Amino acid sequence: MSDIQQYLLTVGPDKAKASGIAKETSERLESKETTLIEVVRSLGEYINEEDATVRTKTIGYLSEIIGHLSPTFLSRQQIQTLCEFLCARIEDEGAVGGLRKLQGLGRFSKEMAVTTFRAMLEHFQDLQIRPQPQRLQILELLNDLMSKHRNALKKLGNESVVGITDLVMGEKDPRNLMVIFSILKVVMMEWDTSGHAETLFDSVFCYFPITFRPPPDDPYGITAQDLKSRLRDCVAASSYFAPYAFPQLIDKLDSTSPNVKKDVLQTITACASSYSVTTVSNYSVTLWDSLKFEILNVQEEDLAEEALVSLQAIAIRLSRGLDSTDPKTPLARYLRPITKECNEQLHEPQQKQAKPAGQILSALGITSPVAFYLIVKTVVPPLNTLYQDADSIGKQRALLEVLVQIMDSAIAVYGTPSILAPTSTIENPLEPFKDRLFELTSQALMSTAADEVSFRVVALKAVLRLCLLRKYLQDNEIGMAVQYFDEIILVEDPSGKDDLKKEAIRALVELSRIKPNLIMDITFPAFMSKLPDTSLFESQEYLIILEGLAQLSVEKFVSDTLIRRLLNKLDVVLQNYGSSAYPRAILSTLHYVLSQRDLPQDPNLGSYHENIVVGLTNRVLLASTGQAPTTALNEDATLEMLGRLSTMIVRALNRHKQKSVAIQVYSLFAEEGAFTPVPFRKDAPKSQRSTMILSTALMAGVGRSVTLQYTDIDSGSIQRLLAELVRLALAEDVPAIRQAILRQIGLLTNKFLPSQETRDITDSLRNLVSGLLETTTMSENAVRVVFWEAKGLVLRLAHTDEALRRLLSLLSNPECGFASACGFGLLLAPDEVLSKENGASIRLLAKQKAFNICVPTIAQDFRKADTAIKPNYLVALSGILKHMPTEVIMSEIDILLPLLLQTLDLEDSDVKAATIQSLTVISQESPKAVEGHMGSLVTRLIKSASDPKMNTASVRHNALRCLRIFPGRVKGSTLLPYRNSVTRGLLGVLDDPRRHVRKEAVECRAAWLNMDEPQSD
Amino acid sequence: MSEILNANPTIRNASDLPSRRRLGASQSLSKTPQGLFASVVPASAYLPDPFSPHSSDSDISDEDEDEIEPIDEQEIYDLISPISDPEHPLTLGSLSVVNLPDIYLTPTFPEKGAASPLTTLTVLITPTITHCSLATVIGLGVRVRLEQALPPRFRVDVRIKEGTHSTAEQVNRQLGDKERVAAALENGTLVGVLRKMLEGCESGAV
Repeated sequence: MSDIQQYLLTVGPDKAKASGIAKETSERLESKETTLIEVVRSLGEYINEEDATVRTKTIGYLSEIIGHLSPTFLSRQQIQTLCEFLCARIEDEGAVGGLRKLQGLGRFSKEMAVTTFRAMLEHFQDLQIRPQPQRLQILELLNDLMSKHRNALKKLGNESVVGITDLVMGEKDPRNLMVIFSILKVVMMEWDTSGHAETLFDSVFCYFPITFRPPPDDPYGITAQDLKSRLRDCVAASSYFAPYAFPQLIDKLDSTSPNVKKDVLQTITACASSYSVTTVSNYSVTLWDSLKFEILNVQEEDLAEEALVSLQAIAIRLSRGLDSTDPKTPLARYLRPITKECNEQLHEPQQKQAKPAGQILSALGITSPVAFYLIVKTVVPPLNTLYQDADSIGKQRALLEVLVQIMDSAIAVYGTPSILAPTSTIENPLEPFKDRLFELTSQALMSTAADEVSFRVVALKAVLRLCLLRKYLQDNEIGMAVQYFDEIILVEDPSGKDDLKKEAIRALVELSRIKPNLIMDITFPAFMSKLPDTSLFESQEYLIILEGLAQLSVEKFVSDTLIRRLLNKLDVVLQNYGSSAYPRAILSTLHYVLSQRDLPQDPNLGSYHENIVVGLTNRVLLASTGQAPTTALNEDATLEMLGRLSTMIVRALNRHKQKSVAIQVYSLFAEEGAFTPVPFRKDAPKSQRSTMILSTALMAGVGRSVTLQYTDIDSGSIQRLLAELVRLALAEDVPAIRQAILRQIGLLTNKFLPSQETRDITDSLRNLVSGLLETTTMSENAVRVVFWEAKGLVLRLAHTDEALRRLLSLLSNPECGFASACGFGLLLAPDEVLSKENGASIRLLAKQKAFNICVPTIAQDFRKADTAIKPNYLVALSGILKHMPTEVIMSEIDILLPLLLQTLDLEDSDVKAATIQSLTVISQESPKAVEGHMGSLVTRLIKSASDPKMNTASVRHNALRCLRIFPGRVKGSTLLPYRNSVTRGLLGVLDDPRRHVRKEAVECRAAWLNMDEPQSD
Repeated sequence: MSEILNANPTIRNASDLPSRRRLGASQSLSKTPQGLFASVVPASAYLPDPFSPHSSDSDISDEDEDEIEPIDEQEIYDLISPISDPEHPLTLGSLSVVNLPDIYLTPTFPEKGAASPLTTLTVLITPTITHCSLATVIGLGVRVRLEQALPPRFRVDVRIKEGTHSTAEQVNRQLGDKERVAAALENGTLVGVLRKMLEGCESGAV
C-alpha cells in the first residue's frame, strides 16, 4: 500500500499515527529515497476524487509533508509549484494549512505572497458560510502574510485594503475577531488609507461597543476586555478616522449602560492620545461640550473620573512640545471655553456643579506648565474677586477649596523643595498673586470666628500648600505660617477644635521635613515655654503640646534637644507637687521619641541609660527610704511608665552593660548600704516594695543568658529566688506590686530557667496545686502564682501536658475553681513583659497545643460536672478561646458550639463578652458551622442584647453585631423562620438607654428586614 | 432616571452638617487622654487582672453604665440624613432636605407627664425645588427609615415644610395616610427606589 493510501485509512481514526506516516514520507524525501514529483503523482487519483472529504485529506497529507520538511529543503521552484498547486485547491480544507507552512519558508517570494493573497480573495468571498475553525485558519494565513510579507501586500494598495475589509466582513466569533482586529490595525496604521478611511473605520466600529460575555469555563480565555482593547487600538489607529469616530462616540455617550459609557470614554481617551494634534484640536471643543456633562452632572463617580481623564488626554496631546502661552495655540483654544464654563460655575460656589468645576481645573492644570499657566491666568483673578464679594463663609470655603485644588496642581507641576518637578521655561503664573494669596489665606485662617472649624481647616490647607510650593514663599513668610500653626495649637481654646489642631500639627510635621530650621527656631521654643512646671488639676493642656513635640522630632537634631529639655522639665515638675499624670505624660513622650530611634546604634544610648534608667531609679530609691522627699515618681503608675522606658533602653544595651544591670536588678544601682533589696527580707514597707516594678522592667530588658542577682553560683540559684518570689507574691496585696512579682515569676520560668531545670518547676506546681485542693481557705494569690508559673512553661512548651492537667484539675474544686477558671484567660494572653521582644521563649505551637489539651477535657468534664461548678468550665473555655487563632477553633467547632451557647446563659459579663466575640468570629469565618444552631443562637443573642440590667452595654452591642452577621452569610431559608422573632425581639432594643447600642440595633434590624431580597453579590 | 429636575442644587459640606461630636466636643479629649501615645504605649501595662471579675474597664462606655442617653433630635437627624436623594448621589443632609431644626420631639400626652412614654416625632422636609415631584418619595423614604429604626412608642409624622412646595398639602395627605403608605410599599419599583435610597444608612459589613 502506498503512503497516501495508508494515510487516508489512518487519518480518520488516529490522527497522530497518520501524522507519523506523513513524517516518514518527508524523511524519505529528505534522504532522497523518493522525489517530490513521485509524491505528488501518487496523490493523483485521490486529489480529483468526487468526495470532498477524500480531497481534503489528501491535501492535508501534502500539507503535513511540507510541514515536516526542513526549512531549506524545498527549492524556490518547488515552492512556486506547490504554492500554485495549493492556491488552485485553496477551497479544499487543508490547503490553507499547507500555504501557512509554505509562506513561512525563506524562499517564499513576494510574488507568491501576492498569488496566495489573490487566491484567498477570489475563493473566500463566502467566508462566513464556512465553519469557525476553518475561518480561523484562513484568517491566520492572512495574518501570517501580513507579518512576513507586509510590503508585498502593501504594494497592492487599494486592492489589499478593499480585499481585506471585504474578506473579514461579518465575522462574529471572538477568537476570529481578535485576529481580524490585529490585521486591520496594521492596515490602518501602515497603509495609505486616505481614500478608504470610512470603509476601514466601519469595518471595526460596527463592533462597538463590545457586549461580548465569555461563556462560563471559556476554554479560549478571551475576555471582553481583550476585545475592547484591540478594538480601541483600531479606532485610535489613524487620524483619518476622527470625522467618523468622534461624532459616533459622542453619540454613544447617551447610552444608559455605565459599561458602554466607560468604554466610550476610554476610547475617546485613546483617540485623543494618538490622533494628530491638528485632528484633536479640530474636535477638542466639541468633545468638551459633551464630556462636561458627565463631570458636572456626575451620576457615577468613576464615569466622571474617566471623563476627566479624557479631558486630560486632550490637553496632554495639545500641550506636546508646546512652550508658548500664546492665546492662539490649539491648547489655548481648547482651554478657553473650559475656563469660561468653570468660572461661571464658581459664581455659585455652593451649588453641586461648583465642585466638579474645581476638579476639572485641577485635573487640566497638572497636564502641562502651559495649561497650568493658561488656567491660572483666567481663573485666579475672578476667583479672587468672587472671594472678596462672597456674602457667606460657606461660599468662601467652597472657593478656598478650589484654590487648594489649584495649589495642588501647582505642586504637581512645579514640585516642592524636596520633590523636584521637571523644569519648565514657563514662569509660575501664581507669582504675581503671591502676596494676595498669602494674605487672603492667612486672614481666612487667623481672623475668622474660632468656631468656623471647617472653613479654617480649608484655609490651613491652603496656607500649607503655599508654603510647600517650590520657589514660592520666602522663608520669613513660611516662618509666619509656622507661627500661625503654633498659635492654633498653643493659644486657642482647646475645646472643640480638635480637627484644626490636628491639621496644624500635621502641617508642622510636613514643614519640618523641608524647613527643619524654622521648626527648631520658632515652634520648638514656643512649645517648650508653654509646658507648665506643674499640673495640679485635671487640666491636660500639656498633652497636645507634648504630642506635638513628639511628632515634630523627626529630625535627629531636633529630637536630641527635645530629650534633654524633657528630662530637665521632668526634674522641675517632680519638685512641684502635682498630679502624677503630668510626669507620666512626659515619660510617655520620652518613650515615644526614643521608640522612633534606632537605639542600639544611638551614640547617646549610654547617657540615656545613665540619666533615665540609673538616675531616675536612684531618685525612686532615695525617696523610698526616706532620704529624699517622695514625689509623683514613686507612685505605682509612674513607676510602670518609668519601667517601660527602662526596659526599652536596657534592651538596646550591649551584653557587657546588660550583665552589670542584671546583677543589680534588685539592688537597683544603689550605693553600698543605701538600699536593702526587697527579696529575702521581712516586712519591707510599701514604698520599697514598689521598686519591684522597676526590677521587673530591668529583668525584662536583659538578655536570657545573663546572670541575675541572687542566682549566681555563690549566693543561690534560680530555684531559690523563685521560691522567694512565690513567698512575696502570696503575701502581697497591692495589685501593681503583686503583678510585678508575678511577672518576675513568669520571666524566671520562661526566660531564665535552663531547660534541664524546668522539671523542678513542675514539682513546685504540684505542691501548690495540691495545697490549693486541700485547704478550705483558698488563697487567690496562690492561684495567681500557679497560673503564672504555668504560663511560663506552656509558652516554651515545657511539660505543657502535665502543667495544664494540674490546672484543669483545679476547675472542679468548689473553693478555688472559679478563680482558676478565670486564670485560663491569662495563660495565652499576650503580655507586655513576657514577650518575644524581651527574649521570652514563645513557641509557635503553644496555643494550638494548649487548645488540644484543654478543650476536649473541658468538654468532657463539663458534662459530668455539678450544676454549681459547670460555669467554671465555660469560663475557662472562654478564656482559652479568647486568644486562639480562628483556624484552631474551627477544627473543633462541633464540640465548642454547644458549650459556647450555654456560656451565653452565664451572668458574668466578661465571659459573655468573650463568648460573643468567639461566636462572632466563628459566624464570620464559617457560617455553615452555625446553621444547625440558628434557633438557640438567635434566642440567646437577642436575650444578651436586651435587658440592660443583666448585660453591660458592650455585651448588648456585641450581641447585636453578631446577630447582624447572619443575613447574607447564612442562607435565607435557614434564617427566614427566625426573621419575625428577630425584628420583633429587637423592637425593645431600639429603646435601649445607650445610644451606640440603639444604633447597632437599627442596623441589625435593617439587615434582617432586608434579608429576603436577593443579595447583590 | 428620565429628566433630572434640579440639576444643580446647593450642597452643604459634610463637615458642616450638625453632628454629635461638635455638640459635646470636650468629651473627645478627656476620653482618650493620650491619643498619640496610645498606639505606642498601651493604656496600662497591667492588663485587667482576669482573677478579679468585673474589675476590668476594658470598654470605655462601661464606665458610666447607668447613664441614660435619651433619643434626641440629633439622633433622629443621624438616622435620616444619610438617606440618599433619588436624583443625586448625595445625602438628604447635604442637600438640606432634612435639617436639625426641623425635627421636633414632643410628648404625645404632655398632660400625663413622664408617666406616658409616648412621643410624637415631627419631621419637616424641604424639597430642593418647589415643584419637585419626588417629594413624596423622599418623604416616604424618611418615614420608612424612622418606622424601622424607632421603638414603637414613637408616633412618626413626616410632612413638607410649609411654603417649600407647590403641592405640599397633597403630598402631606399622601404621607399621612397609613393605607396609602402601606399600598405604596407593595409597589415593587417604588420599594426598589426606596431600598437604594436607604442603602447609605448602613455602615457597611461587620
